[in-house]
Amino acid sequence: MGTKIQQLAGIDRVIHEPARLMIAALLDAVIEADFQYLRQATELTQGNLSAHLSKLEGAGYVTIEKTFRGKYPLTICRLTDRGREVLDKYRKVIKAAF
Amino acid sequence: MNDISRQMTDQNPNVIALRLLKKAHNRDGLPEIAAGVIFLLTAGLVSLQVVFQPGSPEYKASAWGMVLLIPTCILGTLWVIKKVRRQFLIPRVGYVEQKPISRKRIGIAFSLALIVAVTPVFAAHKGFSPSASWNLLGAGLLGGAIPALGGRMPRFVIGGGLVMATGILLAISGVTEQVGFTILYGFIGLLSVSSGSVVLWLLVRTPTGGGE
Repeated sequence: MGTKIQQLAGIDRVIHEPARLMIAALLDAVIEADFQYLRQATELTQGNLSAHLSKLEGAGYVTIEKTFRGKYPLTICRLTDRGREVLDKYRKVIKAAF
Repeated sequence: MNDISRQMTDQNPNVIALRLLKKAHNRDGLPEIAAGVIFLLTAGLVSLQVVFQPGSPEYKASAWGMVLLIPTCILGTLWVIKKVRRQFLIPRVGYVEQKPISRKRIGIAFSLALIVAVTPVFAAHKGFSPSASWNLLGAGLLGGAIPALGGRMPRFVIGGGLVMATGILLAISGVTEQVGFTILYGFIGLLSVSSGSVVLWLLVRTPTGGGE
C-alpha cells in the first residue's frame, strides 16, 4: 500500500495537470480532433488550449498538423503512442494508489 | 481552472472524456432531428394500421416498413450526421474522427433490439398480451426516461418529462393501441425535430470562433 502511494511522487507532471489530462483523455477516445472541436468540448479558452497543446506537443504526447478542408483551415491533433502509454501508466498509478 | 478541469482530478478521466464527447455529439441538434424524423416515419407507418384493415396491402406495407425501413434508417443515421457535419458545420462544431464502434458493441445492440422486437410477438403467441393502456404507459415512461437519464442536458430532461406525461395521458384516455402509438411516436418526433432544429438554428447564428 505504501509503495503504491509512493508511486504518486513519480507521476508525469505534464499529463497530471487537469486541463492537459482532459485533452489527452479526449484525444485517447477518438482517432483525431481539430482545435475547434477540442475547444468546444473542453470549454477552455483559445489561448489556454493552445498553451496546453503546445506543452503536450513539446513532451511528445500529441502531434499537431495544420491542414485544410476545402478552404477551411484545420489544426488536427492526435495522441501519439508515447502519449497513450503515459496516459495508461497515469491511470494505473492513480487507480492503484486510491 | 474551469469546472470540467476540476472534475478530472476527482473522477476517472475516461468517464469524463466520454461525457464530453456525448455532449459534443448533441451540440448541433442533428442527432435529435434524425431521431425525430425516424419517430415521425414510425408514426406514419403505425397510422396506416389505424386507417387500413389487417390483411390489406397498406397494412402489410406498414408492417414491412417497420421491420425493414426503420432499422435501416437507424443504422444510416450516424453516417448521415457525419456527412452533414463534415460538409456544412466544421467551422461551427469542429472536426473529429471517432473510433469505429467495436463489433462487440454492435452485437450487443443488435441482440437487445432483437429481444425487444421479438418479446411482444412471442408473448402474444403464448396468449400473454398486456392491455393497450399498459403498453402505452410503458412506452411513454421508457421513451421519456431514456433521453432524460442518458442525455444529461436540460432540454432532454424536459423533453423526457413531456413524453412520460404523454404516455400517462394516453394510457388513461382509453384510446386503442395503434391510435395511442401513432400519437405518442408523432409527439416524440415533433418534439425532437423542433428541439433539434432550434439548437441547430442557434448554432448556425453564432459567429464562428475561427481555428487556432
